[in-house]
Amino acid sequence: MRKRKPIPVLTGIISILCLFALCLNGCTSKESREKLSVAIPESAHVQDPENNYYIKWLEEKTGFDLEITTIRQSSCTGFLDALFSSDADIDIVMFGEDFTITQDELSDYVSSGDIYVNGDRTYYENTGCSKEDGVGQILWINYNWLKALSLSIPENTDDLKAVLTAFKEADPNGNEIKDEIPMAGSYEEYSLSPVEFILNSFIYNDPYHSRFGLNENSNDLYAATDEFRAGIEYCHELYEEGLLDDSIWDGNLKQLMEMCNSNQDIVGAFTTSSISDVIYQGNPEILARYIHVPPVEGPDGERNSLYIQKVPEIGAIITERSNKKEQAEKLLSLMLTPEASLIARYGEEGKDWIYSDGSDVSVYGGVSTITTVNYIWNTSQNKHLNGIGPMNVPEEYLEGVTWNGVNSDFEYINGRAYMSYEDHLPKVNGFHPYDDRLSEYIDTALEEFIRGKKDVGSDEEWERYLEGLSY
Amino acid sequence: MGKISGRIVVLILIMALALSGCGGTVGTETKNMNIITDNSTPEELYERALKEDTLVVYTVSTRVVDTKEAFEKAYPGLFVEVRDFRSPNLIEEVEKGNESGTPVCDVVLCNDNSGEFKSRLVDTGIVVPFLPEDIGIHMEEAAADGMVSFLNEAEILFYSTKVYEDCPIENIWELTEEKYKDRIYMPNPLRSFSTYAFCASSLDHNRELEDAYEAYAGEKLKLEGTENAAEHFWKRVSENIIFTNSSDEVTEALNDGKADFGWCVSSKLRLADVGYCLAPVYKLTPFSGCRTSYAVMMTNGCKNENSAKLFIRFLLGEKDGQGAGLRPFTTAGTWSVRDDIPDGNEVPLSEIDLIVPDQQRLIDEKEKRVSFWTDILKGNR
Repeated sequence: MRKRKPIPVLTGIISILCLFALCLNGCTSKESREKLSVAIPESAHVQDPENNYYIKWLEEKTGFDLEITTIRQSSCTGFLDALFSSDADIDIVMFGEDFTITQDELSDYVSSGDIYVNGDRTYYENTGCSKEDGVGQILWINYNWLKALSLSIPENTDDLKAVLTAFKEADPNGNEIKDEIPMAGSYEEYSLSPVEFILNSFIYNDPYHSRFGLNENSNDLYAATDEFRAGIEYCHELYEEGLLDDSIWDGNLKQLMEMCNSNQDIVGAFTTSSISDVIYQGNPEILARYIHVPPVEGPDGERNSLYIQKVPEIGAIITERSNKKEQAEKLLSLMLTPEASLIARYGEEGKDWIYSDGSDVSVYGGVSTITTVNYIWNTSQNKHLNGIGPMNVPEEYLEGVTWNGVNSDFEYINGRAYMSYEDHLPKVNGFHPYDDRLSEYIDTALEEFIRGKKDVGSDEEWERYLEGLSY
Repeated sequence: MGKISGRIVVLILIMALALSGCGGTVGTETKNMNIITDNSTPEELYERALKEDTLVVYTVSTRVVDTKEAFEKAYPGLFVEVRDFRSPNLIEEVEKGNESGTPVCDVVLCNDNSGEFKSRLVDTGIVVPFLPEDIGIHMEEAAADGMVSFLNEAEILFYSTKVYEDCPIENIWELTEEKYKDRIYMPNPLRSFSTYAFCASSLDHNRELEDAYEAYAGEKLKLEGTENAAEHFWKRVSENIIFTNSSDEVTEALNDGKADFGWCVSSKLRLADVGYCLAPVYKLTPFSGCRTSYAVMMTNGCKNENSAKLFIRFLLGEKDGQGAGLRPFTTAGTWSVRDDIPDGNEVPLSEIDLIVPDQQRLIDEKEKRVSFWTDILKGNR
């Protein structure tokens, strides 16, 4: 049996010292890394922010340790109020998914000095996860009901009325109860109001720009035209016959979602800017229920598609109390680079996506630039933050992403619908700014005319309405 | 002692493996061409299925959602989850499940004509065919040959009835004319199995294409650097084609009047029932498309074997062909594989100008044909 050789004393001491030094070095290195405290909203689509691939990538690139605080409340202003009235040591607050804040809401915190302002920058933007400007409203119709009643997809306003009437009268869901809602909606967004869609069959109707033409210098207020009035009359007829549901004015988005996703199959048609606004993710049965209807032609041949200009959302802010503003800026600026944004949108390069060789077709029908290998958006994953935080994916990738092959993928369903609508978009020469007062006046008048509180057929009432448009 | 205990361990392992092998097919027997049969009655399967979990179905057709709903009504207490993929993605998902050792999916519905389904899932044993005997006796031979096909379809040319009252062409070479530039839509053949089956199979029909060219142009075809008539045709016609992700986009372009023509799966003809402006081109020299079929298979070692068998019985129309499960599929643009169920389409398959893919040849020559189509697609962008 071999005897173990004794380790020479000096060698042993040196070894121990080296180990100690190494240990110290490791500790020091870790200790010396800057720490940034980042508040991120909780998401069902992000498994573990601490060990998230994207977070780790950001840490590696910046050399910072990101200490994640999970925000568990849905109200942004509630969270910020609590944060700024406490001593909590948060450097960055990120926004996204259901935790969003408007420019107006943010400006209050800027004024109160709670948010760090550097030059003009008060926040870091999130330019979105899908193709930029384009189609703003799509009509979805119940395909099963069309089949059950042997009806065709409506092509014009006469067809639309006939289809909605059949939906109301002929028990298309087959339960022998008159529980069908021919056309539902919500007041929460213009895109959720079928009225806005229908008016586009009479004249171009853009509620996002106070119903002016798409020309910055134009004072063409389409809401003052005879065509607009004809559209209102048509909507009033639909309402009187029970074809337009009160939810369009009284219902919130949650209620609309519950109606459209109901297993009872009670909704015939609704409008959105994206099917994902209303239909729950991961519900192919419900998705298969609805198909898009191309823009419907009005009595004078009008067939318009609402144009929407995507406005970047607020991705993140730096708190004024942070004593690591420079580091925070470095992190958030990195997140806006293409390299970071591609991870933020599509995950890990090589594993979740690859650059395309150009032999694929993009979701929007163009040349492919990105091929998704694992499509992880809106799934429970740990590769990115699912759109939370600043992001600026170059348009060529947003437009050029390939379909993941899942028929119930929202982006693909929307992309197909957009292709039917794009030919009917207006030529855009500029935008009239949104006018709060004017828009509110028209919105109220629309509701009153359609629901019969005012008589749209009365010239006197119409004149009074026109007078009120003066601005 | 050591040797003896070692042998016991091996014996136990062998027994365990044998038992494990039986696990997926308890109460079943394997018939010709590895078709698994099971003489259990639907009632017996139902009773056993009630003890199982939610059945997971991977499909390339949303029509199975209607089958699911009818199945859940017919068999209260059983639940089906449908996941809807494009064919290549479905195969990847099934393979991933198999590699993980715990397949999520129990039943697979997939287009089986490009050779991919056969070579990657059937020949590898990842999916297995199940065909009850009482139904099998009604199936056409080709529908129970190693795979169980439950429906015949076609990848076929359509024209837009928004643009034309009647089909304006009689010969496939007319599609190469400049007036159809960007007016022909077609799913990307490398992403759609049925389109690939047609495009790749057409390379086996050069003589017919040469003759058709002569009939069209009044002179013999000059290949101009291409290898054969089919390659020449596709190179020329692809200049007029807008490639899409799926048949849905083709039908929508036809309906919108953006496309004059489009190749897509024949079952999309059902959309004409809800007013889509499209009609199939049944007669075209030398062919309008190719025959395709849909397979229904069980995943090997699936968790919910009895539910899967019951569901497949239901989908196949049950013993008498009157079951509700097949009805969502017997629509315009489909043809029955059973002798006791009529076709969904008015015009029989035999009267349509279609080629029949040679799957084995597609598998054997995959690399060359994929390479040809990759070049075509890159040149198209």
